[in-house]
Amino acid sequence: MTAIDTGLAAEYAAIYAYGAAAVHLDGDPRSQAEALESEHRSRRDVLLDHYAAAGADAPPPESAYDVGVIGDAAAAQDLLTTVEESVAATWRAGLAATDPDERQLCLDMYSAAAVALARWRLAVGQPVADPWPGRPE
Amino acid sequence: MFTTRRGLLIGAAVLTAAGCTGQTGQITTADADLTAALRTARALAQGAEALGYNEIAEDHRTHAATLERLLRPNAIAEDETAAPADAAALADAETAGSAEAAEACMTTESDYAVLFGEIAASRAAHAAVIA
Repeated sequence: MTAIDTGLAAEYAAIYAYGAAAVHLDGDPRSQAEALESEHRSRRDVLLDHYAAAGADAPPPESAYDVGVIGDAAAAQDLLTTVEESVAATWRAGLAATDPDERQLCLDMYSAAAVALARWRLAVGQPVADPWPGRPE
Repeated sequence: MFTTRRGLLIGAAVLTAAGCTGQTGQITTADADLTAALRTARALAQGAEALGYNEIAEDHRTHAATLERLLRPNAIAEDETAAPADAAALADAETAGSAEAAEACMTTESDYAVLFGEIAASRAAHAAVIA
């Protein structure tokens, strides 16, 4: 799998998670979740265009993803924080790509993921500062 | 000086070990991308502090500390920079700093592409939450 394959898989999973979690949210978190879900769909579409332009078959999404039990708003917020951190970590890994086009795409996606992570943290009242978005601890 | 083949070989080994091989010495020079990233990190830290964005300033100080460590033994003096006029100006400076680090990520010939990408992404996130 390439870094872009892995990144697309992360975007598919994020879209699924937002679809499952957003209904448990209200107010600013709900609005931000809907906006971020739309952005993940846009990024997925950019990636699918990338595969089409290269004449390659994009990996398909899974039929479902394990998002655990989402019993309340707190669980939904925790899930989406984990999802955004995971997406950022996935795209960060692609920065080491030696192919310039692949690295550029991963950099663009990683920057967008870091912005999304910060906006989500802000919406749910978490600290937004992060010198190394997505870096494994 | 070396009267036997064995003496010649030993003499060559000694001279090589002593660094007397006729090759010019190499002066350690600072990586231009690391230096630029450090100067920008310091300027952004000062700007964020001046406007009360202390957590964001701490991110920049963390970047600066890492860059200083990578630039050793070179030491880059810290300059005083004018504080941004307001949050919008700081967000613009974060965006410009992100673009600088993103370009370094794409063009660096060193092993620091991931580091520059991380710094670019962190600055982009700052710009988004400040704006």
